[in-house]
Amino acid sequence: MSPRIANLLRYGLPVVIGIILYFCAGVLELSTVNDLTGLFLLMTLAMAWNLVGGFGGQFSLGHSIFVGVGSYATAVILTTLGWPLLPAMLAAAVMSAFIGVLLAYPLLRLRGPYLAVGSLGIALAAYGWMINWNFTKASQAYAMPPSGQVSLPEVFQYSTVLLVVTVIAIVALVRSPLGLRLVALRDNELGAASVGVKRVRTLLPIWGLSGLLTGAMGAVYAVQVGSLSVDASFAIQWSLDAAIICVIGGLGTLSGPFVGAIIIYYLRKYAADFSNWALLIEAVVLVVVVRFFPAGIVGLVTSTYKKFTGNRAVSKK
Amino acid sequence: MEFVNNLVTGLLLGGLYAVAALGLSIVFGTMKLVNLAHGQLLILGAYLTTMLITIAAGGDPLLMGIPAAIILAVLVYPLQRYIITPVMAQGEEPPMTVTFGISVVITTLLIIFFTSSPMPIWPVDYATAQIELGGVRIRVIYLIATVLAIVFILALMWILKRTAFGRQVRAASIDAEAAGLVGIDVKKTYARVMALSAFIAGYAGVLIALSGAVAPSSGTSWLLRAFTVVVIGGLASLPGTLYGGFIVGLVETFGAVWIGPQYRDVLVFGLLVVILLVRPNGLFAKAVKA
Repeated sequence: MSPRIANLLRYGLPVVIGIILYFCAGVLELSTVNDLTGLFLLMTLAMAWNLVGGFGGQFSLGHSIFVGVGSYATAVILTTLGWPLLPAMLAAAVMSAFIGVLLAYPLLRLRGPYLAVGSLGIALAAYGWMINWNFTKASQAYAMPPSGQVSLPEVFQYSTVLLVVTVIAIVALVRSPLGLRLVALRDNELGAASVGVKRVRTLLPIWGLSGLLTGAMGAVYAVQVGSLSVDASFAIQWSLDAAIICVIGGLGTLSGPFVGAIIIYYLRKYAADFSNWALLIEAVVLVVVVRFFPAGIVGLVTSTYKKFTGNRAVSKK
Repeated sequence: MEFVNNLVTGLLLGGLYAVAALGLSIVFGTMKLVNLAHGQLLILGAYLTTMLITIAAGGDPLLMGIPAAIILAVLVYPLQRYIITPVMAQGEEPPMTVTFGISVVITTLLIIFFTSSPMPIWPVDYATAQIELGGVRIRVIYLIATVLAIVFILALMWILKRTAFGRQVRAASIDAEAAGLVGIDVKKTYARVMALSAFIAGYAGVLIALSGAVAPSSGTSWLLRAFTVVVIGGLASLPGTLYGGFIVGLVETFGAVWIGPQYRDVLVFGLLVVILLVRPNGLFAKAVKA
C-alpha cells in the first residue's frame, strides 16, 4: 500500500464513518442512539487517558478532574454568561486543557507510582473542594439551563464529532515528532534525554491535549445527563474506568481503548442489574490481563495472529 | 487551653495515622512497591473483625481484631507470591496496576456482601470514651492507637534488626539479586513482608473503625492519608512514619479548627501534593537520572 493511500485510509476512514453516523442520528432508534453516545464518550475518555497513561507511561488517576471541569464549566458558562451551547462547550474544553497543563507542572516531577498517587490526591482534593463550593452549588444538583437541553440525537452527534476529532488527533500525534519523543521518553528516559528530548516540554502539551479531549468529553457528558452533581462529575470512577479500559484493551495502542471500551460498556449494560458484579469482573479481568497478558487483548490478538502467519521474529519485537 | 487540647488531639490522631501507614511503609521499603490496595486492607480488617464478632456472637473488637488480622495476612500472602511478585519483573507500573485491581475487587466485594452504607459501629465504651488529664480531654481510642503505633514500630525495628527474617528482608531490600545469590528466597520474603503489612493494616483497620465510621469506599481516602504520612516521614523509615503521622494529625486537627472541618480532606491531600512538589528529590531516587 502506498503511503498516500495509507494516509487517506488513516484519516479518511474515521471521517467517513463519522459523517455516516452523524446523519444516521435521526434514523436510529433512540435507545441505540443513547447507547452509542455512552459508548463513544467512554471511548473518547479512554483514548484521551491512553495519551498520558499509555503512550506517555504516566498512570494518571486524576482524569476525573477534567471530566468535572469540562462538565461544570459548560453548565456555569451557559448559566452565568448565556453563551450558545457550542462555544460554551469549547470554552469548557479549553479550560480543562489549561488545567491539564497546570496539573502537569507539579505532576511531572513525579514518576511511576508517585504520579498515580499524587494525581489521585489532587483528584480527591478537587472533589473535596467542589463539594463545599457554593459557586457550583456545592453538594446540590446543578441543572443545565434551557440552552443546554438538547435532544438525544443531537447529543449523539456531538459525541460522534468528538470521537472522530479525538481519533484523528491521536493518530496524527502518534506519528508526529512529538508523539515519537513521547514514546521514546516512556521507553527509555535516559536514552531519550541523551539525544536531546526534553521531558517537560514533551509532556506538557500531551497533558494539555489529554485535558482538552477529556474536558470536551465532560462537556458532552453534561449535555447528555442534563443535571450535574459533584459526586458524578468529579467521581474517581472516571479515572478508574479509563485506566481499566486501556489496560484491558492494550496500553499505548491505538485500538486498545476501542476494544476495551466496547467490552466494558457492554459488560456493564448487560449486567446493569448487578452493577457491582460487573465492576468485580472488570477488576478481576484487569488483574488477570496484567498478570498473564501484559500487552492487553489487542496485544494478545496481534501476537497470536503473527504466530499463525509464521512471522515470529516480528511478534517478539 | 483550647490550643493545648487541639495539640494533644492532633498528636494522638497522628498516632492512629501512623499505625494505618506502617504497612504501606514496610512494603515500600522492602520492594519499592506502592500498594494501592493498602486502604482497602485497612477497611477489610475492620469488616473481618465484624464477621468474627458475629460468628462468635460477641467479643471485644480489640481482641477479635487479632485473629481477623491473621486471616487477612493469610489471604494476602498468596496474592503477593503468585500475582504481584511475578509481574514485578515487568517494571514499576504493572505491579501497581495489579494492586489497583485488587483494591477495586476488595471494595466491590465489601459492597456486595455488606452494602455501601457504613459498617455498624461496635458498641464498646472505649470507642467514644474520653479521659481528662490536667484539663486536657483525650479520646481513649486515640491514646490506644498511639501506644500501639509505638509498640508496632519498636517490634518491627526489633524484628528487622535481630531476627533471621529481618536480615533476609533487609538484604532483599538493599539488593534483591545479591540476596538471591546468597540463598535467600526473595519471592517468599516479599510475600512474608506483604503478609506482615496486611496483619498490621488489618489491626489498624480495627482502630480506625473504633475511632469513626468506615464504609467499603473509605479505603481510597485512607490510602491517601497513609501515603501522605509515609511521604512526609521519609520513605521506609519506621520512626519517620510516626512523625509523619503526627504532622498529618496536627494539620488535620488545626485545619478543622481554623478553616472548617469539611475541608479536612482538601487540606491533607493538598499537603501531600505540596510535599511532593517541594521535596521531590526525597521521594524518588530516579529524579537524578533525568
